[in-house]
Formats: sequence, C-alpha cells, structure tokens
Amino acid sequence: MDQPLPPDHPGSVKGQRRFAAFRQGLAPYLLSLPAGLWLLLLFIVPLLIMLSITLKTCNPASGACVMTWSWGEFPRVVSLYHAQFVTSLIFAGAATVIDLVISFPIAYWIAFYGGRKKNFFLIMLLVPFFVSFIIRTLVWEFILSDNGIVLHFLKHNHLVPAGFHVLGTGFAVIAGLAYNYLPFTALPIYVALERIDRQVVNAAYDLYANRRVTFMRVIMPLAVPGIFAAFLLTFIPAFGDYVNQEILGGTSNTMIGTVIQNLFLIDSDYAGGASLSVVLLAISLLGIWLYARLLGSRTIEEYL
Amino acid sequence: MTNSDHEVPVSGMDPSFWRGMTQPRFSRRQALAATGVGLVSVLAGGIAGPMSPAGASAAVGSPSWWKGQKKHDVLNFANWPYYIDVLAGKHPSLEHFTKTTGTKVSYYEVIQDNASFYQKIRPSLVARQYTGYDIVVMTNNNPQLGYLIELGWLIPLDQSKRPNFDKYAGPLIKNPSWDPSNKFTMAWQSGWTGVGYNSKVIKHPGTSIDLLFDKKYAGRVGMLTDLFELGSAGLLAIGVEPATSTESDWAKAAKKLQLQKSDGIVGAYYDQSYIEHLKNGDIVVSQAYSGDIFQADLNSKYKDLAFLLPDEGAMLWTDNMCIPKYAENPVDAMTAMDYFYNPMTQAVVEYYNDYICPVPAAKLQLLHPTGWDKSALASLKPEIGLPTSVTADSNSVFPDAARVKDSKPYRVFKNQDEINAWTNLFLPIIQGA
Repeated sequence: MDQPLPPDHPGSVKGQRRFAAFRQGLAPYLLSLPAGLWLLLLFIVPLLIMLSITLKTCNPASGACVMTWSWGEFPRVVSLYHAQFVTSLIFAGAATVIDLVISFPIAYWIAFYGGRKKNFFLIMLLVPFFVSFIIRTLVWEFILSDNGIVLHFLKHNHLVPAGFHVLGTGFAVIAGLAYNYLPFTALPIYVALERIDRQVVNAAYDLYANRRVTFMRVIMPLAVPGIFAAFLLTFIPAFGDYVNQEILGGTSNTMIGTVIQNLFLIDSDYAGGASLSVVLLAISLLGIWLYARLLGSRTIEEYL
Repeated sequence: MTNSDHEVPVSGMDPSFWRGMTQPRFSRRQALAATGVGLVSVLAGGIAGPMSPAGASAAVGSPSWWKGQKKHDVLNFANWPYYIDVLAGKHPSLEHFTKTTGTKVSYYEVIQDNASFYQKIRPSLVARQYTGYDIVVMTNNNPQLGYLIELGWLIPLDQSKRPNFDKYAGPLIKNPSWDPSNKFTMAWQSGWTGVGYNSKVIKHPGTSIDLLFDKKYAGRVGMLTDLFELGSAGLLAIGVEPATSTESDWAKAAKKLQLQKSDGIVGAYYDQSYIEHLKNGDIVVSQAYSGDIFQADLNSKYKDLAFLLPDEGAMLWTDNMCIPKYAENPVDAMTAMDYFYNPMTQAVVEYYNDYICPVPAAKLQLLHPTGWDKSALASLKPEIGLPTSVTADSNSVFPDAARVKDSKPYRVFKNQDEINAWTNLFLPIIQGA
C-alpha cells in the first residue's frame, strides 16, 4: 500500500521545493565560505590573539605569556610613545601629499593622453617597483650618503656647505616613503580618471565650460573616490612603515613601526608591542571608516 | 636535509616545520582536527605555551646520552658576519675540518645581534624542535646567553671530547664567570668595545671616551643600538665602573646619552653596520669592536681607521659557541668546537680575524707554522698583505695580563627586574621622536 508522503517529506513535491529553496538560500553562504574562512583564520583570529596578548604579562626570557588581564599596557605605551605616533602621522601624511601631487598629473596624462600606449606607460611607471623594497631603499642610502656620489659632487663644487647631510633627517625619511609608495597612489587615481566617461567631458565643453571649469567641476569630482582610495592605500602602509626610517632616518625621527619592532625584537615586550599595534590598527580602521561614511562603502570595493 | 632547506628565505620558519609541511604524515581529517586543537591552544596560551625547561629529557648532555649520539657528517653553524677566515669565498679552516673529519659544514653568517637572533631560535626551542643550527655563538654581555642556560636550552658539552680545549684554552676564557667550568659554552673569540675613529679627520683623538661626546664632531658620531654596549659607554663616560654600577648610575648615564643625542652629537645608532658608515665617511668616530677596525686597517683603502682603548677602560666581551637543545648533529658540533681550539686552526682564523684569541699557543703557531696551517697561512697572505708575525705580536690579539686587567667587564644582572630597568632607561634613547 502506498502511503501518501507527508507534505514536508523531502521526497514529496512540496518537500523537494522547500529543499531547493533551502539550497538556494545556502548558496551565497557556501560561496563566501572560502573568503569567510580566510578572513576568520588570517584576520579575526590573529587580531584576537594580538588583543589577548595586550592583556598578558610575558616572560622576556622564555617568551611565555600568562593572562593577567592587565589593562595598563595601553595607557603606558601611549604615554611613552605618543611622540612617535605624531612623527609617523606627519611623515606619512607628508609623503602621501607629495605622492598625490606627483602622481595626479602622471595618472591624468596617461589616462587622457596615453592613447594606445597607456599600458606601456603604466608599466614604465611600475618597472622600478619590480625590485625589492629593501634594496631600493638601501640604494637610496648609498646614493644619499654623506660622501656618496651626489653629496660628494655637490660638496666638492661648494654648492652645499661641508656639513650638509641628507641621511638621518626627517626629510630623507619622507622622501623614502614618498618614493616607495608612489604606485599605491598613482594606480587608484589612474583607474578613477580612466573610467570617466569621455562623453561627460564632451558634454561639459558643449555647455561652454572652459578647460579649467571642466576640470574642476566634472573631472575632479569624479576622481575624488580614487584620490581618497589612493590616500588610504598610501597613508596606511606608510604610517606603519619601519624600513625607511631604519635605513634613511636618524636619531630623533623614529616612527611607530620601528618602536613596535624594537619592543618585539630587542625588548621582548610583547604586551607593549601588541598594544601599540592595536592602536595603530585602530587609527587605520578609523581612516577606512571615514572613507566609507564620506564616499559610501561601494566605492571602497572598486578601488581597494 | 639538504642545504637548500636552510636557504628558504622564510624567516622564522625552521626546517623541521617545512619538513612537516611537505611530508604527508597525517590524513587530511587528522590535519584538520590538529588545526582545531592548535587554534584552541594558541588562543588559550598565547604565542608561547607554558614550558617546562627540564622536561622529559633530563638526561640530555649526560655522559650516557653523549655515548648514544652518532656522528652525522653534517654540521650547521650559525655565526656573526666577518668572523672567520675567508679565501676566495671559502673558509680554509672549515675546509680543512671537512677534509679531516668528513663532516660537511654549512656556515651561516646570520647573527646580527643577540636579542633578535634569540627571538629567531626561541620558537623552535619552545616547540622542542631543532633550531636548524648545531652551533650558535652568543655574547656574554647580553642577557640571552644566560636565558639559554637558565631555561635548559643548551646541551651540556661532552667533557671527554675536548682534548684541545683542555690543553690550549687560555685563562681569559677558561672557567669564565658566566659559565663555570665551561659546562655549556666554549669561547669563539673575545674582543673590546672601544672607540673607532678616522685618523685623517681626527688628528688629536686624546685618550678618553669623551671623544664620543665631542661637539666638534656633531652629527658624525656613531653609537651602537646594543643597549648593553650603549649603556656601558654612558657609564664609562660618567666615570662609573659598569660592573659595580647601581640603578641610579644607570639613570645618570642615560641622561648623559640623552644629552649626547639632543645636542645633535650622535649621527645615528647602528648595529653591525656602523663599520660600513665609518668606512664611507658618514661618521668619523664611533663605538666600535676591536677586530672590525683591525680588519679594516689591513685593507689599504681604510688605513686611516684607528682604534682607541680609552683611559676609562674598554669593555671586554666574549662570544661563546654553544649547542642549542634538540640539535640534530651534536657530535659533529662537539668535534668542531674542539677543532677550533687546535692552535693550528686558531692561527688561521686569527690571521684573518684580529680579535682576542682564545688559544694563546696560536701565537707560536703563527710565527712557526708546522702543519696544514703553513700552506693555509701562505695562501691567505696575499689577501691580508701583512706578515703573520704582525698578528702574532699584536697586543690586541694576544694581550698581556696588564692589558686584560685594564679592560672592563659588563654589568652582570641579578634578576629580570634589573634587566628591565636597564632596558627601560636605554631603549628610549635609540628611538627618540
């Protein structure tokens, strides 16, 4: 005897439909599973570990940490190292502004006048950056050293005083940062300018806008999300950078990245280092949050 | 294990980790389960879980343990840069060792400072795994060598397998205060930390450590980032013996060093790279290690570099060979360590090195080589350019008792609190905003 299947049985027509709907509903979650796991394992878990270390007390000899729920690390390191945070903000800010000023005309020219050779020009912009970051910075150290090729020539011809030096100054660090992070600024701006519909620009001319007005009222507003993305992409890594300061900087312009490195490697002060890293991360996230509030989160996905 | 395993440029990952990752020992299910367990324990215990130094292998290093060990004909040796004889890219002393013992040596110049190298090998030691090195060289003036001994992370040496050491080790490094009766360590070299300067620029260096604080050379003075070197220089400059200094002395020394920085006298704080900056003229005077300057002197390009042992005293340190726990080739390591106490070996090493020789008998060997060292010294000569007698007669390589007595020992810390106090005073100096 055939018993009629209960309506919610998977074998029934209704059941099959419900199962299909369930599967459909599940699909996006399944599809995002790899990315979700990635985020969980490589961002959330390390972040939690880092947060937990800030509350621990670590033995500098064995490296073993014991949870002591000591919240005192944050005020301690911030009061000790706020000056280095300020230095980092100024250096990274200056480097980012320099990069924006330098790379905007380049990106603009490639996007609007590059013609069929756009890709070639872009590659030319990026070629120097195929060489390792550290090596490029070390070469700058070599070039700018007090008796190096540049300063030796200038001093020999009395173009600068004998005591003049570049290495060890804040200027050298800013220059190094600006140089090393240039592609991170140029590319997002290029993408923003490249995707501006030329018909819109032509429409502005048709409406009797001159070049200046077209640039200020049409092109710039459309490029703003790219500029902001360029700002974030340059500023955030530059803010935490320690290589440029280590190699090109001197005794009184330490950046926070160097402090964190020293706390971990020289001092074995894991709690202090982790606390500074959390503060650094918080400042960076604040920047991204501001971007999302001002320009909408959709544009982040397009540029970052 | 092949050499290339070691040269995988993924820092902080030891070879055994790679071996574990590349050999299918677990099923996938087991691996997933293990990852889950690993995560939980990481979250619960932080980056380094609780550890018991003595652990289950208390017998490691005992005579019976040593008896059970076998020679593997492989040796991984971690040392500081520019610290062994070099000829055409090879090391004659190590080549001879391989020829006579059959042990193939991979020599890595990976140690730039004690603190960060210790951080590099510690995760392996915590995980009870091979660090990748059978011999490491640690300095007695930093706390890390003490940490390794206290935490049981060094293998006690085989007392019966060091005939050369027993016969030839000099009084300076035999039975030292940091390792009574050389239970865990044998010295590699000793040296002074004094003042290196460019004699072309500085015609009248004087005889005092005040040269490092001279406003005339503002911006062109180098100091060391090593906090124990930096602090000791500060103490000598205020006229205090580092060894017997108190915390209030340290504060005064730190103040002196802060002033040195804020007055713009210090150009930069350097690790081992100070010597390059002294050579290329970025700085004209610097805290310096004796052997670095003497080695540079031998090169005709840098004849102007000179070394000053200041009146206040120069700091005397010793670098020590030791075998980290879980080393895979302890027998080869022990053999090599004793090999370096053969006066012939030491003559070859010292001819290049110019630090303080741990084997006084090497002096005679340099003057009258008798064995394989004869041809090795002869082939090194064109490179070094000076007769071996210069090295043999140098009071810096084979110092007399008076010279050793004038040198200053470092402060020995009684506990971790003292180390922390020292660090908290001197670390801010090298990272000013």
